[in-house]
Amino acid sequence: MNNDYVLVLKDLIKDFDDKRAVDNFSLRQKKGEILGLLGPNGAGKTTTIRMILNIIAPDSGYIEILGRRFSEKMKNRFGYLPEERGLYRKLKVSEVLSFFGELKGMRKHEIKKRGFKLLQKFALDNYLDKKVEELSKGMAQKLQFIITILHSPELLILDEPFAGLDPLNIELVKNIILEKKREGVTIIFSTHLMEYAEKIVDTVVMINKGRKVLDGSLSDIKSTYGTKFIKIKYEGDAGFVSLLDYVRSIEDYGREMEIELEDMAAKDRLLKALVGKLSLSSFQVTEPSLNNIFIRKANEGEQL
Amino acid sequence: MKAWTIIKKEYKQIVKKKSFVISTILTPLMMAAFIFLPMLLTRMGREEKTIEIADFSGIVQEQFIKKSAEDRVVENILKLKFRSTADKYSSQDELVKEYETKIYKKEDVDFPLLPEHKEKILKKEIAGLVIIPGDVQQSRRVYFCALNVSDFGTNEYISATVEKILSEKILTEQNIELKIVEEAIRDVNLGTFKVKKDGTKKRSSGMEYMMSIFMLTILFSILMAYGQLIMRGVIEEKNNRIVEVLISSTNTQSLFYGKIIGIGLAGLTQVALWVLLGVVFLGSTNFDFSKNIAGFLTPELGIYFIIFFVIGYFMYSILFSIVGASVNTDQEAQQFAAPITYLLVIPFIIGIIVTQNPDTPLVVVSSLIPFFTPTLMFMRICVAVPDFSQVLLSIVLSSLFVMFLAYLGAKIFRVGILMYGKKPSIKEIMKWIRYK
Repeated sequence: MNNDYVLVLKDLIKDFDDKRAVDNFSLRQKKGEILGLLGPNGAGKTTTIRMILNIIAPDSGYIEILGRRFSEKMKNRFGYLPEERGLYRKLKVSEVLSFFGELKGMRKHEIKKRGFKLLQKFALDNYLDKKVEELSKGMAQKLQFIITILHSPELLILDEPFAGLDPLNIELVKNIILEKKREGVTIIFSTHLMEYAEKIVDTVVMINKGRKVLDGSLSDIKSTYGTKFIKIKYEGDAGFVSLLDYVRSIEDYGREMEIELEDMAAKDRLLKALVGKLSLSSFQVTEPSLNNIFIRKANEGEQL
Repeated sequence: MKAWTIIKKEYKQIVKKKSFVISTILTPLMMAAFIFLPMLLTRMGREEKTIEIADFSGIVQEQFIKKSAEDRVVENILKLKFRSTADKYSSQDELVKEYETKIYKKEDVDFPLLPEHKEKILKKEIAGLVIIPGDVQQSRRVYFCALNVSDFGTNEYISATVEKILSEKILTEQNIELKIVEEAIRDVNLGTFKVKKDGTKKRSSGMEYMMSIFMLTILFSILMAYGQLIMRGVIEEKNNRIVEVLISSTNTQSLFYGKIIGIGLAGLTQVALWVLLGVVFLGSTNFDFSKNIAGFLTPELGIYFIIFFVIGYFMYSILFSIVGASVNTDQEAQQFAAPITYLLVIPFIIGIIVTQNPDTPLVVVSSLIPFFTPTLMFMRICVAVPDFSQVLLSIVLSSLFVMFLAYLGAKIFRVGILMYGKKPSIKEIMKWIRYK
């Protein structure tokens, strides 16, 4: 296998009772990249992540991680943030750090040094002697994020890292993820909130009902889908737009509209058709959101 | 070693708890209260009681009242006062007439008590009436009518005293010197001694029984308390998904055994502290009672306690952690934990037979059943040391069983702890064992 890949999944299948949770799933992730595992709730993201981490075994398929098959030894080299958060409520923050640090094979002085730095970064350094149950929900989540990266893992696996965070902390976590990337850490994270993913991922894997529906670098995907979209701001009755034969679909928000064309060449004809009938304040060629792309891909999957 | 990290964490988490400190101090105090309170209560709880005597033979009453008035036990412990009921009648003959015709013919049916006597007892003017029939010397039968006839001390005293008076009478009628008569009817004191390989030591039977129940209770409550602690710990980790981080950081064996060993060490610490407190207490006091306990708690017994504690602890903590891993909520856990509790309670029922007859087949066999070995075999050792071969066999059998349980437990734990949602059926749990 090529050593450029930190993670290789091949034809993974996992059934729960009679339901297929993950169906023939494959992916490759290069070292140092951020991969976004996108999909709605129940798509199979968490199951896939659990298989990567060897928490559950796939029914069939192949997993290679950090250049080899999974082994007990490599556990110190990844950091995992599970989707549902929770920590020992009765332990002090400092005890939580030393417990999880030691579990990842860190030495005491390392834990102290790095732990304190990270607590400062997350503005938790005054809470070292507080019990977890005394922290607010947001603080506890930050603490959990800290223990995930405390041991400087080479591979970070984050399941819905933004869930339950306020906008300030989302920004904070996002910045840390980008900082980790600059340090050369490979990151895979799952989310159903596409707008956050869009800002930081290099590669996107979309999954729906256990199947991969889309896979590629963000820029490739955007350029494949991106040029056929026009976004307008308007006033007036725009009901006729969807009836135009070169318009594939519209997303009408009342005063704004996203129009997908059959072909980009038709954009001049569209402009002519609109002028005079609507009062336009903006006419713009735009990239579709990941959200939009996902909805289209998911629908295509349905039709197949 | 990652298991060591988990052992340390589990140990500290318990030992640092306030409840650990409190229970370490409070439990011995409560135990002491349980032992001393009944003793105090029997002394303080007795009210002075008056018992009347109706003597138709005319030979017992006078002696009885005289003897009881001189007896310190009657005065201080039983707190009884005897007087003649005949004083209330114009003559003894009148009373005799009242009863005579009815009383001797009907023995085991309802007693033909005079209405005024019945009234007196019901109104609690007197505690009871002793009726001594005219033919008491031949029939050797006396009657005691009272609201409460279950007070052994009183019953025993009445029959023993009448017995003495009658014997005294027979002997004096043979013209035997009073001194010799007194000598002849003196009480016999039964001393109980326990035979053991290393010597024969004085023991009171009540003490033996109490101490074995006491030790059994300690064993039982520790196994229950720490088992439940483990169970709740596992449910917590399962519910807040810490377990996923743990499993992605270390293997299940370290997690499973680290947890059990860590909490077990906390339990041992508590026992050690209790022993220390006990030694200090027994060493600083000088009651007969303390000496009795000190004589009972030999180092040999201590070693057996540790052995059976460790075996029992592993057995039940594995069972409890399996339950914790299989369920999702504390309520579900209680349902599954109930049968485990029964397993721990059964030895108490069999335990009653153990003190009476530690070598009946039922006791021998059930003390070899691994589930019961830690409690029952230990109790047998407390009462009368069984054949060493049996002790050894029970230790071997239960240790093997613990290993088997640990093997199964680790497997069920591994699968169960990642199963969320609905409560699993027993059938499903059996399926988990077969997972690779």
